[in-house]
Amino acid sequence: MSEVARVLEAFSEAYGCGAVLWTQSHPDEPLDVLATSGGEVTPPAIATLRDEHGPASRDTALGRQLVSRVPGRTRAWLGVGPVADDDADARRWITVLVPVLSQMLQSQWEARRAADELAERYEEINLLYSISEILGRTVTLEDAARTILMEVAETVGAEYGALLVHDAGPGLLRPVTTLRVDPKATPLPIPTDDPISVTARVFRTRHALLVNGGVLESEYEAAFRSGAMLTVPIVWTTPDGGIPLGVVSLSGRRGGAVFTAGDEKLVAAVGSQIGTAIQNARLVRASIDQERLASEMRLAHDLQLRLLPSGQAVAPEALCAARVEAADGVGGDFYNLFRLGGGRTGVLVGDVSGHGYRAALIMALVMSAAAIHAQTTADPAETVQALLATVEEELRETEMFLSLCYAVIDRDAGSIRWTNTGHPHAFVIDADGVVTRLAATDPPLGLGPEGLHVQARAWAPSDLLVIFTDGVSDARDARGQSLGEARVLEVLRARRKEVPSRIVDGVFALVEGHMGRLRPHDDQAVVVLRSR
Amino acid sequence: MSLQVTKHGDIVVIDVDGQLIVGNRQELKQRVLDEAEGGARRILIDFAKTAYIDSSGLGVLVSLAKRLRELGGDLRLANLNDDLQTLFELTKLDSLFQIADTRERALESF
Repeated sequence: MSEVARVLEAFSEAYGCGAVLWTQSHPDEPLDVLATSGGEVTPPAIATLRDEHGPASRDTALGRQLVSRVPGRTRAWLGVGPVADDDADARRWITVLVPVLSQMLQSQWEARRAADELAERYEEINLLYSISEILGRTVTLEDAARTILMEVAETVGAEYGALLVHDAGPGLLRPVTTLRVDPKATPLPIPTDDPISVTARVFRTRHALLVNGGVLESEYEAAFRSGAMLTVPIVWTTPDGGIPLGVVSLSGRRGGAVFTAGDEKLVAAVGSQIGTAIQNARLVRASIDQERLASEMRLAHDLQLRLLPSGQAVAPEALCAARVEAADGVGGDFYNLFRLGGGRTGVLVGDVSGHGYRAALIMALVMSAAAIHAQTTADPAETVQALLATVEEELRETEMFLSLCYAVIDRDAGSIRWTNTGHPHAFVIDADGVVTRLAATDPPLGLGPEGLHVQARAWAPSDLLVIFTDGVSDARDARGQSLGEARVLEVLRARRKEVPSRIVDGVFALVEGHMGRLRPHDDQAVVVLRSR
Repeated sequence: MSLQVTKHGDIVVIDVDGQLIVGNRQELKQRVLDEAEGGARRILIDFAKTAYIDSSGLGVLVSLAKRLRELGGDLRLANLNDDLQTLFELTKLDSLFQIADTRERALESF
């Protein structure tokens, strides 16, 4: 039994007559019995109902009945009867009962309203939760866009809509997904500067807009608009305010009802979530690309190192050690070693200007070409000329150049001959520690005029050939000070009688000690060779 | 690095203040090409305030010298410090440029 029914029962017991409470959902609808403790329950005719005056009297099969309006938000009437002809007492009883019932109905109305509100909010919270879940488990917006749009449209009762994302290059809002008025119609990309399109306007202003049917109709939105349209921006919120990323538009509300401020707030909240998801997806994609690039760079670096020969390549005529440290994963410094027959040994050290993929490509071309041409002639200039022919076009197209020193040591003849195209750090150090630079014979390849030159000098079995690149002498410390060629030569002179591998280790120990924890800004290569 | 451009008759003088390296070489290149586009054919780059030029900076200088020669012009250098002078000599780049030890001599040499 309801609270109202208990009150009516108590009233009947106290005053000895029945009571009935009718309610009406709409002024034109018939009355329904909400509760009764006896008396006539058939409701009075609607036309006889009075709103504000005192109780009206009517005759029923069970006797006379007084009918009184119960004030409040719920449309309700109280019937008390049967009553005596002198109904003064009954009218007094009604004045006591009506306020009590009014209060109870008001409480019930508020409870019902709160329940409805809660149900409505629950739907919205559920929508936001669902969207969070969808966005949380997808990497690309495209995967989730349709589900999100359908869920939002369902919640606000829209039949049509579109989710558009900004394409900054051409300045367009591209439809990612649409709920179309005509399934055969193709939604068009919308220029962000279009003066009529509501979608473009919302993107520009970053403010939601609700327009009625017939207002600002644009051909760009025809595919997903019917009548009034609610459009909200998709914004990635940042400390500086936010960056617009796209737009959500909804239209064609079922039953012709208008969109409310509540709908706008809800769709704006969804737009904010989508904005964060788009940005996250972009960051994830960038991170994946970065990782892929880093992985390819590591692979290229490994391949490049595999192209470089071991010092054993010139045994038994010579004892050699070499090392290359690339600055950017793949670099432009390289060396190659050749046994040329007749006791001759070829040593090539090169530095392609710049580093990265292009430098590595030129390096690979020179390495492979050198392996062929070095065996065809003992003349260093001829070999280098052949190398230039191989990479000339590549150097011209990339505006790079190549400094290299190619030296041929003839142990038996006691001579060293070299062609040096702009490589500054090539030396012979004799047993007494006297350092002689193998001076450049020509400008770097790719810069100079045609025609290469050769120089020669004596070579003693105790002589040491040392060639390093400018990444070694230009290595910077934390204050930006470069190591300098003189300090490298000091180490080389001091260690000149050690085996080449220890000499190379000594140079790199000097470089690393100078740089500390800094990464090299340029490739570093060192080659040390002694005849046997 | 900053660049200052002045004119001495029909000679355009570009003063370079700071290092010429991979990160800013394009700035110098574009400036020289802009001047050439505007009709300049005799250009002097003054390195009095430049302590260091890396290999990419050298590449740009050679590329610009070639370009100006193709246009019937000439690019000359002045005021290289001792280290840079040595670098140009060691790399034989001094054979590609006319290099003067003062600005005045460079201007007179055109």
